[in-house]
Amino acid sequence: MPKRIIIDTDPGIDDAFAFLLALASPEIKLEALTTTQGNVTLEAATRNALAVLELANASHIPVIAGSVVPLVQPLRASAHVHGESGIGNSKLPTPKSKTIEGHAVDYLIQRVLAEPGELSIFPIGPLTNIAMAIRKEPKFAKAVKELVIMGGAVLEHGNVTPQAEFNIYVDPHAAHIVFHSGVPITLIPLDVTHKCLLKIEHVDRLLKIKSPITKFINDAVEVYLRFSFDHGFTGSALHDPLTLATIIAPELLTFKELHVDVDHSSGVSMGKTFGDFFGNTSKPVNMKVALQVRGEEFIELFIQRMETLAKSIS
Amino acid sequence: MAKKILLDTDPGIDDSLAILLALASPEISLEGLSIVHGNCSLEQATTNALSILELANATHISVAVGCELPLVQPSLLAPETHGNTGLGYAKLSEPRTQPTRRHGCDFLIERIMSTPGEVTLVAIGPLTNVALAIRQEPRIVNALKELIIMGGAIRYEGNTTALAEFNTYADPHAAHIVYHAGIPTTLVPLDVTYQCVLTQGDVDRLLRLDSPLTRFIADATRFYMEFHDAYQGVQGCVINDPLALALTFAPELCEYQELPVDVDISGGVSLGKTIGDFYNYNKKPANMKVALGVRPRDFIELFLERMENLARKTTQ
Repeated sequence: MPKRIIIDTDPGIDDAFAFLLALASPEIKLEALTTTQGNVTLEAATRNALAVLELANASHIPVIAGSVVPLVQPLRASAHVHGESGIGNSKLPTPKSKTIEGHAVDYLIQRVLAEPGELSIFPIGPLTNIAMAIRKEPKFAKAVKELVIMGGAVLEHGNVTPQAEFNIYVDPHAAHIVFHSGVPITLIPLDVTHKCLLKIEHVDRLLKIKSPITKFINDAVEVYLRFSFDHGFTGSALHDPLTLATIIAPELLTFKELHVDVDHSSGVSMGKTFGDFFGNTSKPVNMKVALQVRGEEFIELFIQRMETLAKSIS
Repeated sequence: MAKKILLDTDPGIDDSLAILLALASPEISLEGLSIVHGNCSLEQATTNALSILELANATHISVAVGCELPLVQPSLLAPETHGNTGLGYAKLSEPRTQPTRRHGCDFLIERIMSTPGEVTLVAIGPLTNVALAIRQEPRIVNALKELIIMGGAIRYEGNTTALAEFNTYADPHAAHIVYHAGIPTTLVPLDVTYQCVLTQGDVDRLLRLDSPLTRFIADATRFYMEFHDAYQGVQGCVINDPLALALTFAPELCEYQELPVDVDISGGVSLGKTIGDFYNYNKKPANMKVALGVRPRDFIELFLERMENLARKTTQ
């Protein structure tokens, strides 16, 4: 039976690729997208979520808008990474579909409590919505099956400060709430996502199939590739899609159980995620952290799935 | 017309006195209570709120249960100040009424948005519910008429750490959210509340009226007085929360200064400290009106008169 997931997201180029991978994977049943500020404003994130679903003929999947600003920190968007629209240079038509009424926090609470232990949530943006759901409904943490989070840099350096990864840095207080909530967590940090690089030759291979999907990937990734080259990478990291490898190809990842915390003390390490590898704090394990990945195999899997999806939508 | 008041509270001895003062004041209409963790657990605070409303024949007032934990900090309760039940030595009967099924945050949002520009929110516990409501429905910022917060210590020592006041220390991140939200805010810090001491003589005066209400006040405050004596060398007890409530209809009890106020959330020894930028070092605009002077005996006199009236009314 396919695994039932809700993606909490701030699309975002690699977020959009994660939706496409979920839709292209028979092992996954994508039940909803909840949106948050992050890579772009909430408004743009929500519009992009609807537009990408429409592109993939998947407008039956509900989209619910969530948090406008992080809990405590000021709003921070990253147009230099994802382009002004959030999805690079792609020009998707204004979506015809609408969001579901209500707030993402309440939607998450309601869905999770209706079927305790059934739904996995994949937060691939700042953790504001998830933290609010945990604080608003104390039963939420016990009823969620698991969280598979794209975020953090445990042994790897950061991508927004020398130490901090973007999703965690944008709302470190939310991350702190989520990390210590008791929900079973799998963390997919930069340690692994920086090894999954989509390169120009991959995009060229995809473009051999004529489809709105391959055109979108090409248009979206251009800005992202330029940003990646500027920072010394040979391709664009597929951060968010890699979370789905925990379902479709878990053998590609190597995990370690760790106590992980996040610094929210406003100093130079703000938003840094750190693992207690030597048990110095004597605190119990609170998550499973992916520390190694067979990156090229994941990219190959991603491309194959995009090819299949592209062939079905032309 | 009576002013519409919502009270966000963690009863708590002085909270319960604020609830009673609200019920005793014809200038205001108490539209509901949202309950938050703080002086005691959320569950206990809810029971206490319902029991106090029952004691004052006011069970028609809605009680909505809010947040059980602070946003980021671990839970901090205050049994040494308020006793294990949150109400000192007072023993109220188990309430027969139930809270509404709405979450405290949703209740606040709904009530504020249903009459934009009319509701004054008085927050006398940790600010978790208020902060979460702001983040969930940002429009309440403009729809609130006013927010009166009991919290902080501006030029006064803390009552929880050397620097920090309890409500702010219990959830400094929530305070940070609320202070910077843009709501017209009045802060009622320890600077003024610690001038307002209810003495044994005041309680004896109330007890001349024999009533469940006056006996409740005496039993609750007896514990509170013992705490103030043992920990702070104060004779009598400081009734923080009723002062904040009184300012909804008697703002002239205090003197105010418009100030940029911030709260330290950086996790060091100053965690939860409220800072007034008196000399505007940070070049930020004032974000609240801070009560820095008070006429304490006028307030205590007002409080006692209203409690006497309510005691007479509820024993009739």
